[in-house]
Amino acid sequence: MNWLKRRVRPEQIRELSLLVLILAAIVFFGSFIDNYYSFRTFNRIASSVAIITVVAVGQTLVVLTRNIDLSVGSIVGFTAYFVGTLIASHNGINPILAVAIAIALGAALGVVNGVIVAWGKVPAVVVTLGTLAIYRGVLVDLSGAKTVTTDSLPQWLIDLPLVNVAPIGSLDIRALFMLALVIVVAFQIGTTYLSFARRFYAIGSNPEAAQLIGLPIKSVVFLAFVICGALSGLAGFMLLARFGNITVEAGRGLELSVVAAVVVGGVNVFGGSGTVTGAMLGAVMIGTLEQSLFRLGISEFWLDAVLGLLILLAVASDAVILQRLRQLWGGAELKLLAKETDSVSSEQSASPP
Amino acid sequence: MSAVGTLKSWEAMMLALLVAIIAFNSVGSPYFLSVGNFVNLFQLSIEKSIVALTMALVIIGGEIDLSVASVMGLAACVMAWTFHAGVPMPAAILAALGAGILAGLNNAFWIARVGLPSLAVTLAGLIGYRGVARILLEDRAIGGFPDWFNTIGQQALIGPLTAAIAIFFVLFIFFAIVLHGSAFGRLVYVVGSNAQAARYSGVRVGLVKAALFVGSAFVAALAGILYAARLGSVRGDMAEGFELDVITAVLLGGVSIFGGKGNLVGVGLALLVILNLRNGMGLADITGNTQNYVIGGLLILSVLIPNMWQELTNKWRGRET
Amino acid sequence: MSEGLGLADGAVVVAPILEIRGVAKRFDATQALEDVSLSLHAGEIHALLGENGAGKSTLIKIITGVHQPDSGQILLGGQPVTIRSAAEAQRLGVAAIYQEPLLFPDLNVAENIFISHQDRGAVVGWREMFREADKILAELGMTLDVRKPARGLTLAAQQSVEIAKAISLNVRVLIMDEPTASLSAHEVQELFKLVRDLKRQGVAILFVSHRMEEVFEIADKITVFRDGRLISTRTRLEATPQRAIADMVGREIDLTKARTSCAQKDVVLSVADLGRQGVFEGVSFDLHRGEVLGFAGLIGAGRTDVGLALFGIEPATSGRILLGGKPVTVRTARDGMSLGIAYVSEDRRQLGLVLPMSIFANITLPVLRRYLSRLGLVRTGLERRTADTFRDRLAIRTPSVDLEVAKLSGGNQQKVMLSKWLNTNPSVLILDEPTRGVDVGSKAEVHAIIGQLAAEGIGVIVISSDLPEVLVLSDRVLIMREGRQMAILDRAEANEETVMTAAMGQRSTDSIDGRPS
Repeated sequence: MNWLKRRVRPEQIRELSLLVLILAAIVFFGSFIDNYYSFRTFNRIASSVAIITVVAVGQTLVVLTRNIDLSVGSIVGFTAYFVGTLIASHNGINPILAVAIAIALGAALGVVNGVIVAWGKVPAVVVTLGTLAIYRGVLVDLSGAKTVTTDSLPQWLIDLPLVNVAPIGSLDIRALFMLALVIVVAFQIGTTYLSFARRFYAIGSNPEAAQLIGLPIKSVVFLAFVICGALSGLAGFMLLARFGNITVEAGRGLELSVVAAVVVGGVNVFGGSGTVTGAMLGAVMIGTLEQSLFRLGISEFWLDAVLGLLILLAVASDAVILQRLRQLWGGAELKLLAKETDSVSSEQSASPP
Repeated sequence: MSAVGTLKSWEAMMLALLVAIIAFNSVGSPYFLSVGNFVNLFQLSIEKSIVALTMALVIIGGEIDLSVASVMGLAACVMAWTFHAGVPMPAAILAALGAGILAGLNNAFWIARVGLPSLAVTLAGLIGYRGVARILLEDRAIGGFPDWFNTIGQQALIGPLTAAIAIFFVLFIFFAIVLHGSAFGRLVYVVGSNAQAARYSGVRVGLVKAALFVGSAFVAALAGILYAARLGSVRGDMAEGFELDVITAVLLGGVSIFGGKGNLVGVGLALLVILNLRNGMGLADITGNTQNYVIGGLLILSVLIPNMWQELTNKWRGRET
Repeated sequence: MSEGLGLADGAVVVAPILEIRGVAKRFDATQALEDVSLSLHAGEIHALLGENGAGKSTLIKIITGVHQPDSGQILLGGQPVTIRSAAEAQRLGVAAIYQEPLLFPDLNVAENIFISHQDRGAVVGWREMFREADKILAELGMTLDVRKPARGLTLAAQQSVEIAKAISLNVRVLIMDEPTASLSAHEVQELFKLVRDLKRQGVAILFVSHRMEEVFEIADKITVFRDGRLISTRTRLEATPQRAIADMVGREIDLTKARTSCAQKDVVLSVADLGRQGVFEGVSFDLHRGEVLGFAGLIGAGRTDVGLALFGIEPATSGRILLGGKPVTVRTARDGMSLGIAYVSEDRRQLGLVLPMSIFANITLPVLRRYLSRLGLVRTGLERRTADTFRDRLAIRTPSVDLEVAKLSGGNQQKVMLSKWLNTNPSVLILDEPTRGVDVGSKAEVHAIIGQLAAEGIGVIVISSDLPEVLVLSDRVLIMREGRQMAILDRAEANEETVMTAAMGQRSTDSIDGRPS
């Protein structure tokens, strides 16, 4: 137990318990569904989770700084459509360039959000609620309600979702899922080891203190929105690759799934704590349930009801049960051992509001 | 600038905007200032306007209710489903309102009793209640309601006003009195400003929040029924996505997303601004889509411009001394 | 003593580290600072005194780069500098510690210590950081688990982390803005040990405090501000508390005269073996009408918890409470209120007041019901009249009771909080740190009000970490330590020594929670 206490930080309990929950769900569904433990199941879950995960990583950074980006769905649709149109008309375009354009386009939209939130001092909910409508509106107006269709796209793009990057035995790790994994790992390492990335946590944890000790709050918040936009742009490209047919409605409502993944993944909606790995696990949990319920032959109409319940339980378990666990884990030791006069509870340590 | 000053100037800003829009519109179209146009205008999104009233209270109370649109859908579907199952219409309506109250109690339990963040709980509600609505109706559309029910939704009942518009005005006055005159309203501001201090003053914070969420869901259910009456038929995806429009109107009305600030007059003005703007643009052949993003832009600018203005005047003053 | 004298000699030879020349700052209509000049030498502890709003905070914010002066110069090590931000101040070797520690609850202790370091490279070397943090804390004579998040640290431990933070930056100038406001007497001594260490290492320290005896214990020089102007700078040997106070308020105030007792015979509140599981236990006392019972003890001794249990915010789990001889159950704050118990919180800003709301709305909040018309609407006219009565009675300085509480000074906010609870007509009034962050003038006023309330027959409990205050106010002093009641001393027995002895208890031989440190 002591070894475990030293190794595992209280924040990581959240992710571990989510992992256990996912495994439990898989075992549970496996006992009901024939052929559940198959590569097909894995691939279905993996490809449905990949896009949400990439956006959720960006959203995590924004939420860490005590903000929220509700415009991600519009950014995904925006980039998917325009990059799709671009590729459809220039089939010979360099794939790398296409991806770069998608990322740049998303980042540019993120810049708009970031500037208004950071320097305009407008609450993020207000800004991104506005840009959610604006980006979508501009998209609809500029598109003239046309659609990108699969047959106008080059073959490499259509094949991309099926590309098998790392076959492990007969298990496929397909390109889009691999991309999502790489991003999660990169951002997990980045947010753990990069000095500037630690500031996402610092600012969300105590904005007043961040201001007084002179952390560049505005630039950090701005950066969070730009990264979130860039990742949404990338997700837009992934959406294009996966579906091929892109209407002006693409990505509508995605912001809710992403926020749900982030919340289930244990990222504190009031900023300061949570990890991108958690956000990915949140997305995987939701994806697993979606696919499994579908496979179980349960009417698709039941899916949302179950999903809503799950989100509620995930948040409740975090707040109620894990709060206690954390106290057990982290309490008691945080004391001045040099002094002889500490007590079990402190008048002052009542958690800050 | 004091909070009171900010609020006053906010309403002044909204009012000036409203007058400008109306003036512009009536120059563009003589038909604009007629009662008929006004009623049509209001009727067009009356359900959102109704829900915005309770949403304003919830946000002033320092919380948010993302589940309102799903509760609207749920209530309508419960009504349609029970009616379809052979229950008389009045009973079906009561069942729908009951479903709304249940949804509100569920939100209230997790937020007020367990203490979870309302953003997470009502996001779950948004997905979950919609799910229940879909379970009930699957992909059917149910209509064929009694004539009197459709009449409520579609015809002028009180003078030129439809039932929904009349209900909106009654609720507006009711909630304005509740928020600005009653003890409960005072407590909503107190809880929204500093829930901890409220608790230390003997305020039953949980009860205030519970009342807000149950009230919000009840009014949403009512709006859902009115929406069904106006459309004449009900589907599982009814009112989907309305929550964002409702929140937009409330924030445009000068209610602070952080709670404790704002009033119903501002929200009323914001609703009028949105309606007139949409109507004016509609008369000028501007599509609904463009209208959406103009309002999105207005939302951002309504906070951004005062901020920038203050920044500029501060700088200017600084240079002067 | 000797070090202070030695430095006075040194100051003649060595140029000051920090010199402020003719600095002025204006906010809208108020002249916050006017032509202030001040110099600070290495190894010197320079205290700033002044009532709230006298300009101390503005000066600090100018030195730490939060505000820019309208005119005047700042010289560091003889060089004129412009400090544009807190980060720049830190680069120049200027750091500040505030009354409420500014830690990041979600970051671990080590990260909190090194958060302001810009020279640690782009990649965080966690092992190295933990090792260095351990080392710095060890130098300060402390052991903390530096891997654990700062959430849940006691205030004293947080203050220590703040000091470790400042030390890690190799500061030349350390500004301490009321660092002792939330500390108990013992913790203050621990802090002073650290401060003297820093002084020996040649750090120049600017020390702001409202507690006169602390200032005279530790400072080498004392500067008094009033209304944005520097009134006097004296060495400790020249200064006396009386002169300093006179400079601060422009008149003489005596805070050391004991209140005359007006305790009556009948017991208003009787508590027997009260406890809350895991927090405190075995608290028993009688409170008489008109009596002031002081609660002394270290921070974390459980005094506030007893207050919260009596009021019902965090109810007791064992023991009995008798009010006017009748046993009562207090489970919620509403129970406490309806029984005539009032609790005035130590945390004005977070727990005591709704800052963005008006004075009158704050005062009527607990008993809003009384202000309803027959239709159930709030009668604001009546509320204003009540608030005006209290404004006159407690001398709340405000142009109108419609003003937001946020705009009042600390002392006036404290009076609003008192009004709010007096308006509930309590028979038992629990005051938790009633003069924290309140300037000398208002402190004397609050003391006078407490005396007046006792004279009216209210039983008053005063929880305070300011020991002289407890001794001056109380008829009897109840002392707690680690959640237990240690003693109740009569006024005749209670003095600094007896109270501290009881508050410290026996020195325990086994290490805390049995873990090797």
